[in-house]
Amino acid sequence: MEELILKLKQEIIEALNLEDVKPEDIDENASLFGEGLGLDSIDALELIVLMEKNYGIKLSDPNQGKEIFKSVAVMADYISKNRTK
Amino acid sequence: MKHFVVLNDKSVMVDGVPMQLENQGMAMLNDVYRSKIGDYPKFFKMDALCKVGFVASELLLKAETDSEISQRKAHGTSSRAVLLFNRSGSLNADTKYQATIQEADNFFPSPAIFVYTLPNIVTGEIAIRNLYYGETNFIVLDCMDLHTIAEQIANAFQDSETESVLTGWVDCYDENHFEARMLIINRNEDILNELNKIKQ
Amino acid sequence: MVVKISDNIVSPLGLTSEENYSAVKAGQSRLSRYEGKWNLPEPFVASLIDREKIQVDGHYTFFEQIVIKSASAAIAEAGIDPASPRVIFVLSTTKGNVYLLDNGITDFPDERVLLGVTADVVAKHFGNPNKPVVVSNACISGVCAQIVAMRLLERGAYDYAVVIGADMQSPFIVSGFQSFKALSPEQCKPFDASRRGLNLGEAAATMVLGAKETDGCWKLVRGAIRNDANHISGPSRVGEGSYRALKYVLGDCPADEIAFVNAHGTATMYNDEMESIAVERAGLLDVPVNSLKGYFGHTMGAAGVLESILSMRAIDDNTILPTRGFENLGVTHNVKVSNTIGHTEKKSFIKLLSGFGGCNAALLFRKEEQK
Repeated sequence: MEELILKLKQEIIEALNLEDVKPEDIDENASLFGEGLGLDSIDALELIVLMEKNYGIKLSDPNQGKEIFKSVAVMADYISKNRTK
Repeated sequence: MKHFVVLNDKSVMVDGVPMQLENQGMAMLNDVYRSKIGDYPKFFKMDALCKVGFVASELLLKAETDSEISQRKAHGTSSRAVLLFNRSGSLNADTKYQATIQEADNFFPSPAIFVYTLPNIVTGEIAIRNLYYGETNFIVLDCMDLHTIAEQIANAFQDSETESVLTGWVDCYDENHFEARMLIINRNEDILNELNKIKQ
Repeated sequence: MVVKISDNIVSPLGLTSEENYSAVKAGQSRLSRYEGKWNLPEPFVASLIDREKIQVDGHYTFFEQIVIKSASAAIAEAGIDPASPRVIFVLSTTKGNVYLLDNGITDFPDERVLLGVTADVVAKHFGNPNKPVVVSNACISGVCAQIVAMRLLERGAYDYAVVIGADMQSPFIVSGFQSFKALSPEQCKPFDASRRGLNLGEAAATMVLGAKETDGCWKLVRGAIRNDANHISGPSRVGEGSYRALKYVLGDCPADEIAFVNAHGTATMYNDEMESIAVERAGLLDVPVNSLKGYFGHTMGAAGVLESILSMRAIDDNTILPTRGFENLGVTHNVKVSNTIGHTEKKSFIKLLSGFGGCNAALLFRKEEQK
């Protein structure tokens, strides 16, 4: 899980163009949206693409994302249980 | 004094004075952002056209603010319009987005790129940054024709709330070929005469 | 004073304004579900023009052909000489020939994907000597183009303006809106509680506008463009730009003179909610509101021109058109969304639009008594 969390942090930084942010700057238990990284609705949509592209997980309802993208840890947990690649 | 910014992928000039820069292209813009702006992380999410327009507008407004008259007074009002022109539209973002859908077996359309496939997003980025509620418009021409541009700037003043127009040419063919020529024109100024400052 | 002299609509519902108006009044739509279309992995609902109905000319792309077809009809009806230096062409489009970026399509030179180049091709077709102006201001382009033309005519820069709004659909646009999760899996339901998103559509619509000396009874009174200054894709939570645009175009015109507000009404959750807030803030809650997206889908660069033309036709017919797809109000404010054919004696209406980049536009039209 540690490894997946680190990989996920790197993927998020790349996909969302979080220049000047390093993996160790992201607290895997902290909220991804709102405060913290300051992500917005477009970032949420881009995370949906990341889930499908890198892990073969298709989220058809964007509202599902709200739960899954709570934090990197929650995302990693969901990925480990549902990944198809 | 009237301030103006002229930049391209190799140089940046404010009021005709070149900045000392090490890099070119997008790396150069990132350097300018870090050394002169630096408090707006959303910058790194912007596509190239928006970065070009954003940096030009920030340098221009900084020059205005540093002078006697604070032009950031338009903040929170409808009195300033943002009216930009170019030839390439959003071609750079269009090409990048097309690459995300070109191959059927690697088909992952990117919403973060798609949102920039409209040239007027740069006018929105400038309005958001400066809280301008005024008119924003983007016009595409097949070349930088000052007569047409002047006509359109004159148009903007027909809105009775518009007192000044942040305007100019902001074109990005790709990440290594771009230019911005930007200035602020106030109501009752001689538009064509002012535009000559950014022509050279 | 700037007046409308003639108009035309080329859409899946017909090739003239009259055909389109009759079809809308009869409640028709060509919104259809497409599966496997253009090899897109996900199905979508859209209103597409039958390619075979448009005359094929190898010199022009499909986009240019619908533009030329619509403009030719409107110019002929107006009886103006499009080659005159006193005529300016204003093209409203968001994506023009963007489909040419596909590596598999090589029928046209690369630069044809540039909007200024395609506009030049169109202006040259009509022999017009002036540099055409392309307004590319996202989904509000159609109203912005009218405002741009109106101001040029008011200043006397030209005598006539040919304002053309057009967009064609392609995998580029459809997949982009899909990635935004903005498309409805069914026919769209503007302002409805169960709305699930928008449908895309294609059309070309033209208005020939003229300065005051010319005959015509439809007057473009006042237009405004305002920004939310909030977010590049999400509409303002307080409807700031739309409210400010509405307020400006209303001026001193009493709300009870307005027959209806023809809203953007795309049927996305956020857009329709935002418009209800703007309409409430502008003091227009008693004015009927309608959306035409249920007939044509969202025709992007064409929407502002097409929907203005149909709204004029509706008032010519003393009619308030129903909002196809609407049943139960699903926005915070109690806007009077029309869902049946209504009667009106009023002679003014407002066209309202909003788009990516935080932009919003409104335009007040008034029908003057013919002398």
